[in-house]
Amino acid sequence: MNQELACDGNLLLRYDRPGPRYTSYPAAPNFGPHFNEAMLREYIRRSNEEPIPRPLSLYLHIPYCMSPCFYCGCNRIITRDRSQGSRYVERLIREIGLAGPLFDPDRDVMQIHFGGGTPNFLRGSDLAAVIESLQRHFYFSKAVDRDFSIELDPRHVSRDDVALYAELGFNRVSLGVQDFDPKVQQAVNRIQSVEETLDVIDTCRRHRFRSINVDLIYGLPHQSVEGFTTTLDTVIERRPDRLAIYGYAHMPQLFKAQRRIDAAHLPNAEQRIALLSTAIEKLTEAGYIYIGMDHFALPEDDLAHAYANGTLQRNFMGYTTHGDCDLLGLGVSAISHIGDSFSQNARDLTTWEIALDQGRLPVWRGRHLDQDDQVRGDVIQQIMCRRSIDIASIERRHDIDFDRYFADALARLQPLVEDGLVLLERMRVSVSSRGRLLLRIIAMCFDRYSNGPSIDATAHYSKAL
Amino acid sequence: MNDATGRRPRGGIADDGDEFHFCSTCAFSAACLESGYDKTHLRDLHVLVEHIGPFREGEHIFREGDPFTAIAAVRSGTVKTYVTDNEGREHVQGFFLPGEVIGLNAISQARYPSNAVAMDSVVLCRFSFPNIAALATRMPGLQQQLFKLLSQDIGKAALLSGNFSADERMAAFLITLSRRYAARGFSANRFLLTMTRTDIANYLRLAPETISRVFRRFQDEGMIQVERREIEITDRKHLETLAENVLRTA
Repeated sequence: MNQELACDGNLLLRYDRPGPRYTSYPAAPNFGPHFNEAMLREYIRRSNEEPIPRPLSLYLHIPYCMSPCFYCGCNRIITRDRSQGSRYVERLIREIGLAGPLFDPDRDVMQIHFGGGTPNFLRGSDLAAVIESLQRHFYFSKAVDRDFSIELDPRHVSRDDVALYAELGFNRVSLGVQDFDPKVQQAVNRIQSVEETLDVIDTCRRHRFRSINVDLIYGLPHQSVEGFTTTLDTVIERRPDRLAIYGYAHMPQLFKAQRRIDAAHLPNAEQRIALLSTAIEKLTEAGYIYIGMDHFALPEDDLAHAYANGTLQRNFMGYTTHGDCDLLGLGVSAISHIGDSFSQNARDLTTWEIALDQGRLPVWRGRHLDQDDQVRGDVIQQIMCRRSIDIASIERRHDIDFDRYFADALARLQPLVEDGLVLLERMRVSVSSRGRLLLRIIAMCFDRYSNGPSIDATAHYSKAL
Repeated sequence: MNDATGRRPRGGIADDGDEFHFCSTCAFSAACLESGYDKTHLRDLHVLVEHIGPFREGEHIFREGDPFTAIAAVRSGTVKTYVTDNEGREHVQGFFLPGEVIGLNAISQARYPSNAVAMDSVVLCRFSFPNIAALATRMPGLQQQLFKLLSQDIGKAALLSGNFSADERMAAFLITLSRRYAARGFSANRFLLTMTRTDIANYLRLAPETISRVFRRFQDEGMIQVERREIEITDRKHLETLAENVLRTA
């Protein structure tokens, strides 16, 4: 086990508390219902009027899955009827047609991400129709570093499917793996063979995808260090460009699917740390760079470059090299980040469908980011993406006196400083190597909507580790 | 956010005056003080100095053809003036920053020859024109200031009439804005661009995409830094050189 982590085990446990994942600040539970379609349209109009309007990032949510994985906390619909996907795509195309013309034509799309659910639930022809519609209503960037990515469930991907994705312009894929251990797979209702998974990876390589990501999860029922080590070895052998090691958050009160998981079979906190540290150790040995939170990347991957040169950003899709874009979310429950606003589409399918059938953008809730939100959002971005706060840059950008403005936050940070998780220097607050697994706990000190890491945020958020 | 949380005021908003002090951006304070008048004296002279607003974004302050009664100094915010042609197309005539005076071009005609609209939250200081003109006959400094304002207003129109490249026009636009902010005590090298790119494009007779392309090129060449609506001039000399031809004509 990783030496440093081993001796810090107790410390980590002490700070293993619930907190937002900071894919946005303020986090989504702070969005309000007063935000409506007219406001979204106005934010888009304003975003067109900036001196250099931002390029665009599009997120498309495909909510369907063939079968329920019991660990899942996503918004999804379980069915084997692919024609439901075709009907969904009809409406999605309607939404694209409504939203596209609101953006000025010189705003290139730099990033497209299909998430879910399971985007490859869609028939190839349906997916192609969505891309065609996007091309009709938006202008795709021709830059080499544009990211067009799709999340795939390798259990339902054929070699022909991969060929189609490449042909449609996708250059990044993200594969769900979780764990190859049969006992774990049984317990989470996701039986996925090593062979079919590796075949998808190899096929993507043959089609020269720029970047392949693999998602693993630690903290699943029956998971053991031995079994997880085998999974890690198998995956690392194929050298995916990126790896995400998510911690399973057991919150059955929030996510119905998780009620099928017997809490008695879950690893305890010590075992979770052992699983995580095994992963960190193996990935580090294999040459992966720790990007932050749950993400690792090979040194030559764009994400590692962005981390190294300080341009890494975090948004609803996790870590990204295109955080300077305005983000438009399309599909049920999708979240947008346009200018100084966040907004989210209706979370249930019927409401989303009715809005589109009436020719309305299906906005459900959102919020305007005031200056305080912007300052804190900036600070939290720096913590999550660079593991340090450059005080001078914050003061300059937001016209504040950092020490005065954040007097409360710095007081809340004090115990973390004493525990060696955070270092206070002149004009810099930095996260120590012991603190790097607790980024969200550190960020919470700067969150106006949380009272610091001591508050019980169990109702909404998963634990840090 | 308020002061208690440590925020310093952002550039672009005037300090408010009170009973005994002028607003820091007042268009007339220097002239009045020079002539030995302060604000209390002005009150005694029954000059109407009236703070009006705030006008919300998009709200009209006056419209083309309205009878001319007053000129107004911008206290905070930005005002755009424009006319509409027979085809209904809008033509932007100018932008007015804190401390600058709107309505001057109406003096000769007794009616406002253009529309004035608030581009953000705008507060004005309104002067009854007959009264301030009468006062000017007794205050040589004030009269000079009025003449100066009138000639500047004419000069502004000349700024864009020549046959200059997009780069030259943009450079001149930025340098002019910078000088105008500096003249009112704001930062010369870092300011918010309160106008939309559509309005800038209209004003400079360029396409909106051209505006952004030029901004991006200036940024790539190290002359400016653009962060959302905030502009920072990082190589003033280069930008001034580029603006030279236009500004010489103006």
